[in-house]
Amino acid sequence: MDFSQFLKSLQGIVGEQNVVYHADDLLVFEYDGSVDRRLPDAVVFPGNTQEVSQVIALAYDTGVPVVGRGTGTGLSGGAISPPGGIQVAFTRMNTILEVDTENRMALVEPGVINLHLDTRVRKDGLRYAPDPSSQKACSLGGNIAENSGGPHCLAYGTTTNHVLGMEVVLEDGSIVNLGSLARETVGYDLRGVFTGSEGTFGIATKIAVRLLPVPEAVKTFLGIFPDVETACTAVSAVIEHGIVPAALEMIDALTIQAVQNVSDAGYPDDAGAVLLIELEGLSDEVDEIGREVEAALWDTGATLVKTAEAAEERQQLWSGRNGALGALGSIAPNYFLVDGVVPRTQLAKVLGRVADISREYDIPIANVFHAGDGNLHPCLLFDERKEGTLQRVMEAGTAVLQVCVDAGGTLTGEHGVGLEKKEQMPLVFSDDDMAAMILVRDSFAPDNTLNPGKIFPDGIKQAAHGQRTFPGMPV
Amino acid sequence: MESSLSDRLAGLLGGSVILPVGDIEIDEVTPQAVVRPVDRLQISELLLWASSEHLSVLPRGGGTRSGLGNVPRKADVILDLGAFDQLIDYQPADMTATVEAGMTLATLQERLAPGGEFVPIESAQHGRSTVGGVLAVGAGGPLSHSYGLPREWLIGMSVMGTNGVSTKSGGKVVKNVTGYDLNKLYTGSLGTLGVIVEATFKLLPVDPQSGMLLASFPTLSDSLSAGRKLLHSSVSPMGCHSVTAGVSRKLQDSTQAASQDLGLGDEDTSLFFAFYSGRSQATRRRLEEAAAILLAEGANAVQRIEGPAAKGLLRWITDAPPQISDDAALVMKVSVQSKSSARTSAECSDIVLFGEKPEQMADPGFGTIRLFWPKYGDIQSTHSMEPQPIIDAIQQVRQVVARYEGSAIVEQCPITTKTQIEVWGDYPDSLAIMQSIKNRFDPNGILNPGRFLGGI
Repeated sequence: MDFSQFLKSLQGIVGEQNVVYHADDLLVFEYDGSVDRRLPDAVVFPGNTQEVSQVIALAYDTGVPVVGRGTGTGLSGGAISPPGGIQVAFTRMNTILEVDTENRMALVEPGVINLHLDTRVRKDGLRYAPDPSSQKACSLGGNIAENSGGPHCLAYGTTTNHVLGMEVVLEDGSIVNLGSLARETVGYDLRGVFTGSEGTFGIATKIAVRLLPVPEAVKTFLGIFPDVETACTAVSAVIEHGIVPAALEMIDALTIQAVQNVSDAGYPDDAGAVLLIELEGLSDEVDEIGREVEAALWDTGATLVKTAEAAEERQQLWSGRNGALGALGSIAPNYFLVDGVVPRTQLAKVLGRVADISREYDIPIANVFHAGDGNLHPCLLFDERKEGTLQRVMEAGTAVLQVCVDAGGTLTGEHGVGLEKKEQMPLVFSDDDMAAMILVRDSFAPDNTLNPGKIFPDGIKQAAHGQRTFPGMPV
Repeated sequence: MESSLSDRLAGLLGGSVILPVGDIEIDEVTPQAVVRPVDRLQISELLLWASSEHLSVLPRGGGTRSGLGNVPRKADVILDLGAFDQLIDYQPADMTATVEAGMTLATLQERLAPGGEFVPIESAQHGRSTVGGVLAVGAGGPLSHSYGLPREWLIGMSVMGTNGVSTKSGGKVVKNVTGYDLNKLYTGSLGTLGVIVEATFKLLPVDPQSGMLLASFPTLSDSLSAGRKLLHSSVSPMGCHSVTAGVSRKLQDSTQAASQDLGLGDEDTSLFFAFYSGRSQATRRRLEEAAAILLAEGANAVQRIEGPAAKGLLRWITDAPPQISDDAALVMKVSVQSKSSARTSAECSDIVLFGEKPEQMADPGFGTIRLFWPKYGDIQSTHSMEPQPIIDAIQQVRQVVARYEGSAIVEQCPITTKTQIEVWGDYPDSLAIMQSIKNRFDPNGILNPGRFLGGI
């Protein structure tokens, strides 16, 4: 089958207007939130499971690799097209199919935006807990693929702890159900191992997620500290009180400077670190624990502590943290965000090493991170127009990951391996460890035609279908 | 004469790791040998050798759930992991712990207690149940409504494969998406994919206050509907359970033995348990408000139990299923959506076996219902029971559960019945993927052969 025939067949399945293939139109599908880029040969917008199944079956029979795409907010290259591949984009499959308040469950299509679901269910006093920073834009299908986290996963866990079941399309177009609406299912936990498989096992077309009741009270604390080390002792003090906050976030001096460049978030000029703590629960419990948190902040050396309970005031305290990544643009035009995780007790030491790396490579590094679960987000700031900079940034990024791994941590806490970190996988996993993982992929997708070339370093087991291009393909 | 398997294993691994078979049996199959390795290399050598010899290996922790699953196709070697009982790493400030698979759950909790923490995993007979065994079964307990299943707390693993190679998945950090999450695959796989050697958990702090509400209702159905009300109130419990009168009587007997009066009389009523924990003041407030809700929903009486007594009662509920099973002909565990638990329970309550309706323990928050049918009359041996009525009862339960899109596994039945049924129930449409995973991880089918669903 040549390319024009293949396009015609795709159009036959989803309709002419739902296939994009002109080079100009494809440009916006070339990238996601990471630094990697590649043009897909075509992007298909199916409207339902049957169409997804037919598109994938056609691509499989034709030998074309496929990657699913939600909204392209991913930070590890997960949605970047494989060479000679097509994207199946879920823009049209964005319906919340069911909200079952009795059972605290929602059934959604993969293109539903994370925040749209949360907003919808809050009308019924419920919430969808996983809240990636991109939740205004990211899709639930993408959340499943990446097992996304967010600030509040400290208390509630990541996507995998909230997915009950799903309908997925496998690489040959067949449709199977994983998990169930009941909490316990028989057989291997395929839904569990599918979540976070970065689109290499199958493509989810319906997703059932668990909803939680909205807490009675929420209280936010903001502590200003002279430096990150002192703020880290506050984190330890809170944990030692037997408190697991809903969120525990930190930003460092350089980030504070960037935030203040853009708009006044109310941080003093000499602030060396800002610690944000959010408590949720029953009002009297939040009050009682809140007093302990406040005392712990002062005791460990906070120079200023602010608290807020009303939603608007809490939003105010969060505004600096939420706007931090965007504000980094006031320091440098580009940033490269590293997603390493370390045991919480290693935070201060590792941040010290990150500062060393910043000096060694002469790259400013701003830190915005989930302090509660040890998930660092060092942002390497640079200008890609300066020749050789990107190479130096990548080397510094690898050095940061090495520091994380040496401290007993790992490569990625919530962004996924994708293209970005696949060559670093051997820092954490042996060939044998990865071989066991690939056995599972081989069971779901024996021909490895779904999102090939991701996660594992090249050379371990490469995509057989990855390199094909069509004769007569428009360039 | 050909030497015995024990002798050959002694030659391979050294005589000191071979134990007498004693009275160990798996579904009335007596294994040929019991091996208790002391280092990981011995597990590796055993699996490699068993693969080449096509001998079956049945990993074993405390043996408390060894009756779970289909009758094994073969039971050559029991692999006892009891010697792997060390706490490898525990950093209270990280709220994580790494432990060897053979440590009992109770010991692990004891070791974590000085740090003010615990792993939110529950198991009956936790003084014997091991970490590896609990993970292999993967089931929840009375507080699953808030804690979920063991899968939620497991963040890393070392597993010995049938190729004799140890692999790891996950890590020691609480948030991790590096590589596929094989932890999820191994948890609940009943030891059919590899031998769990080590596990890392995330932990929770122990709450300063805990309390239990114990309420009596005229019927199980009243108790369940009150439970649903409570679960959807602002004072939702950590977990709750409704039990039938027969189970209630067992509790009364056991607490009388412990000279505790629950103050609920010995009426023929259904008991409802709701567990709370947290800060002192908030917990007391919740107990008070919840008690008022239960009385408004028709409870005959509500008793508030606090502190160690509440934990003791929680322990009793956790341990109750195997105790009640001792007198049962058939035990099934049903899982449905939580909203369907009351209807499922009501429909199952009419299923009669040997003239008796089932006793029940139902969790209206998590959607789990255990059904216990007593043994027939004075018959002590389950062998003399006719299989057909039992098979019929199983079918009836599965018909009910199918209407609510749930599952129903047989946790206990006479061997004469077990050989004729699939204990795991109807197959999911993803069975082919599961079989493919099994074939790739264990190509010679040596690990727990036949015990899991679909012949896995």
